[in-house]
Amino acid sequence: MKRAVISSCIALSFVLMSLVGAHATSTVKIGFVYIMSGPFSTYGQFAKQGAELAIEEINAAGGINGSKVEGFFEDSTGKADVALRAIRKLVYQDKVDMLIGLDSSGVAKTVVPSIEQMKTPLIITHAATPDVTGSVCNKYTFRVSLNLAQNVKAAALLAKETGAKKWTTVGPDYSFGHQSWEYFEKYLKGLNPSATFLPKEEVAFPPFKTTDFSAYITKVMSSKPDGVFISLWGGNLIDFIRQASDMGFFKGDFEVLFSLGGATEVLSALGDKMPEGLWVGSRYWFLANDSALNKKFVADYFKKYAAYPSYNAHGSYSAVYSYKAAAEKAKSTDKMAIVNALEGLKIEVPTGVIEFRKEDHQAVTDGHWGKTSASPDYPHRILNPIKVFKGKDVTPAVSDTGCSM
Amino acid sequence: MDVLLMNTLNGLSWGMLLFLIAVGLTTVFGVLGVLNFAHGSLFMLGAYLCMQSMQYFDNFWFGLIVGPLCVVVVGVLIEKFLLKKVYTRDVSYQLLLTFALLLILDDSVRMIWGGGYHIVEPPVIFSGVMNIAGHDYPVYRFFLIIIGPVIGGLLWSFFHFTRWGKIVRAASFDNIMAEGVGINVPRLYTMVFALGTWLAAMGGALAAPQQSLNPSMGDKIIIESFIVVVVGGMGSFPGAFVGALLIGLLESFGTMYAGRLQMAIPYILLAVVLLIRPNGLFRKGV
Repeated sequence: MKRAVISSCIALSFVLMSLVGAHATSTVKIGFVYIMSGPFSTYGQFAKQGAELAIEEINAAGGINGSKVEGFFEDSTGKADVALRAIRKLVYQDKVDMLIGLDSSGVAKTVVPSIEQMKTPLIITHAATPDVTGSVCNKYTFRVSLNLAQNVKAAALLAKETGAKKWTTVGPDYSFGHQSWEYFEKYLKGLNPSATFLPKEEVAFPPFKTTDFSAYITKVMSSKPDGVFISLWGGNLIDFIRQASDMGFFKGDFEVLFSLGGATEVLSALGDKMPEGLWVGSRYWFLANDSALNKKFVADYFKKYAAYPSYNAHGSYSAVYSYKAAAEKAKSTDKMAIVNALEGLKIEVPTGVIEFRKEDHQAVTDGHWGKTSASPDYPHRILNPIKVFKGKDVTPAVSDTGCSM
Repeated sequence: MDVLLMNTLNGLSWGMLLFLIAVGLTTVFGVLGVLNFAHGSLFMLGAYLCMQSMQYFDNFWFGLIVGPLCVVVVGVLIEKFLLKKVYTRDVSYQLLLTFALLLILDDSVRMIWGGGYHIVEPPVIFSGVMNIAGHDYPVYRFFLIIIGPVIGGLLWSFFHFTRWGKIVRAASFDNIMAEGVGINVPRLYTMVFALGTWLAAMGGALAAPQQSLNPSMGDKIIIESFIVVVVGGMGSFPGAFVGALLIGLLESFGTMYAGRLQMAIPYILLAVVLLIRPNGLFRKGV
């Protein structure tokens, strides 16, 4: 009798285990690679929050094609070799169906060529270098977020409107800062042939480790420009703005454009120390779109995390929904079917309707700029007025991207 | 002319901050013989604890006094329970230990205060701007330019005119002999490490009103502090002062006139000093 009970228990446990196994095969696995440690871990944190919110919502609504979604998060630490190892682990060990992530442009540029060998689709959500949907583009790599070229094109359109002639820059001393300035020069020259640009030795590229920007501020101010294009971001941007406002930088002697000044982490850290009336850009601005979807996203995000979604949170959130849309369009989670479905996919995400261009896989998405302004409803500056640059107006033509697949 | 003046002020205020950090580093090295990699993390901790106690007391000056003292407590614990065990070991153990401390401190701060950015307001009397040759210049930077020599002068008097200062110098000269004549060297080491920690934390607290607080802020400043220490002469107190001002001014003028070469200036200075005076500008000795 006893033996019968035990053996039936064992038999039952086998049945249960096989059920668990069967359940596991019906989940959709998404692998996320972000910077989760070190100085830039805030970016990974925001991205993870956005992704988890999307996964939670999708699972509550019945999953993707009836399967539950499971997220696997890996730390890229912001280093290319670590990121590549993390991606290999996700693809070969965790057997994910989809990859989402990448913060650093340097990492993205190294990782993207290997994605092709792994035959797994990747949606980039933050890294902004034009190259990953340009010179090194490939069949498996997509980008949902606004890239450097799109953001800088919007800046150039704005710069033209200001009428300022003599331009200089302050940017981080690595490819992002230098590329931002090159694109700005190229685009503004096309829009306003009379604009002039200070030569490389006279502009300011502070190294990333800089904490005292006073020498750069003095340098830029003494070059007497009409306009300054600033591509600093994160902590560098916070330090720069505080020190520059004490040194009279924002007194109105020249126009100032901040390509990433509309980032929520920067605005909330600065609070009322952020001067009003400065032009700032962002890859996503949580008040820029009045759509029901955006309002719901911002409200749900705030309810869950007690913070307003940053552009990185928006990027990962949108990427998960883009994957869902592609899987539903393809009626499959087969990797090649997803790639085909993502090509040309049009989807509404909180920032607006975007389209993954078939030819270079870059999302055609709107760029948002605005003037910093105080508001009694928010503890930090908000953008008012907001200027929306339509995706089709700021996205470079496919022939200019240098992408051939 | 006014550009020269502005750059001099920029260089001096940055140099004074470097001095505060470098002088702690060099004192600890001079007496204990330990190259403290975690010095930058103590600087960072000073800034965070200044911010925390400032919020608690709602007064910058309390933050400036209480914050660094809290860090000193951490420093004393580190010395008593960790560093003490590696004094007699090979230098690589000291480097490993202090590097581990750097990682632990950085991540602890990240766990407590989060990885985001924080800012600290300068005290009200130093928060405005002054008009210098037609330019706005923050008053707080003048305060930094003055506080550097003040702390430096106090330290110098301490080392030269007080009994304790003389004991510290004696112990750094020959610690076995010092122990032989009845000086409690282990206790002295704890005190010197506490002083070094206090200087790092003070640097952090003073830096807080003009740069954003982030767990990695110490790592950003530690390389330049090491360069200051080596240029000035390892363990040399006046060396740290001169080295810090030299680096501060060269960086500020380099930014203005040297273009892309600016980044290399501290390293070029380091290489030149090492070639011409391998012991640094000032001979070793506190």
